Amino acid sequence: MIEGTLVNLRAVEMSDLERYAVWFNDPEVTRFLNKRYPFSLAAEEAWLRENTGKPLSYDHVTFAIDTKDGVHIGSIAFHKAVPEDRRAELGITIGDKAYWSRGYGTDAMRTLLRFGFDEMNLYRIELTVDARNERAQACYRKCGFVEEVRLRQHRYAEGAYHDTLWMGILRDEWAALQEADEVRR
Amino acid sequence: MIKGTLVNLRARELTDIEQSARWAGDEELQRLMGDRYPQSRAATEASMRSYVSRPLSFDDPRFGIETRDGVHIGGLRLMDVSAEDRRARLAIIIGEAPYQSRGYGSDALRTLMSFVFGDMNLNRLDLDVFGFNARALAAYRKCGFVEEGRRRGAQYTRGAHHDVIIMSILRDEWAAQQAAGEVTR
Repeated sequence: MIEGTLVNLRAVEMSDLERYAVWFNDPEVTRFLNKRYPFSLAAEEAWLRENTGKPLSYDHVTFAIDTKDGVHIGSIAFHKAVPEDRRAELGITIGDKAYWSRGYGTDAMRTLLRFGFDEMNLYRIELTVDARNERAQACYRKCGFVEEVRLRQHRYAEGAYHDTLWMGILRDEWAALQEADEVRR
Repeated sequence: MIKGTLVNLRARELTDIEQSARWAGDEELQRLMGDRYPQSRAATEASMRSYVSRPLSFDDPRFGIETRDGVHIGGLRLMDVSAEDRRARLAIIIGEAPYQSRGYGSDALRTLMSFVFGDMNLNRLDLDVFGFNARALAAYRKCGFVEEGRRRGAQYTRGAHHDVIIMSILRDEWAAQQAAGEVTR
């Protein structure tokens, strides 16, 4: 378990299945994710079985996000960690909409960033986000991510092409933010 | 076969193995392609065997680049082809040194663009290029690719982190280019 301020990150369990199945079939939740087609319970179960079956490691970092009271509210992961480049791509979903815009996502992000830099020894953490998803971008900016690239007409959804942004944070930038926090305290 | 002005694009053949293995052994070329580890001839041959036996299709198009005289000088590949988003990412190599910086690569790119927009009916074609690869950057710009931004320090090679630049061309931009070409003629 990795402890944050509002949330803890823990390994995903088979008992999380029902919630994943609900979240990833909720159009409001999946609107900005790369999940276009509805997911069957069986497909979700197979995915979960495969993911919970192998131990977490550098190549396989997927956490469930729990509130401090143990309510499972979402999921956060690194994809495609490249050891030579010391970088990884971050993806997060707060599936329980009651916990949107209340700082839980930001705390989960900060907790995973700390894990990525201080434990996995990454140099760079990056992510892509739909240009229309301003709520997510505000959260990422708050965590120190910088907008780097605008992929034009990158994704088609809801009858139109939409831009996708690449955002990134480097190890030095993360360290500087940590120091600024220390000073403030 | 897809005809260009200086080059043709054709399906890859097992007989390309000699050259592919040679290019795979060229340190400078590999560095520009982002490949780190030397590959055995057996590994190169195995991957080649697996795809030359499959018919080319929307999902994984790979081409050999030939001069009009039939000299095999390089290769082109489309990756992450998305039907819904109508986009693909390209990678190109001109492996034969005498044919570098002489317009063969640019002609191969233009020929590919005609195919990608005119036949595969895509909306966006993009690519990654390392910030230090000035020759490639110039060639892509000349063909109409637009720089969309840089993923800072995303590639580590030769002792330092380097930016990865993302460039793209949209269907409308390509069409405007074609129309302007007609006018000049």
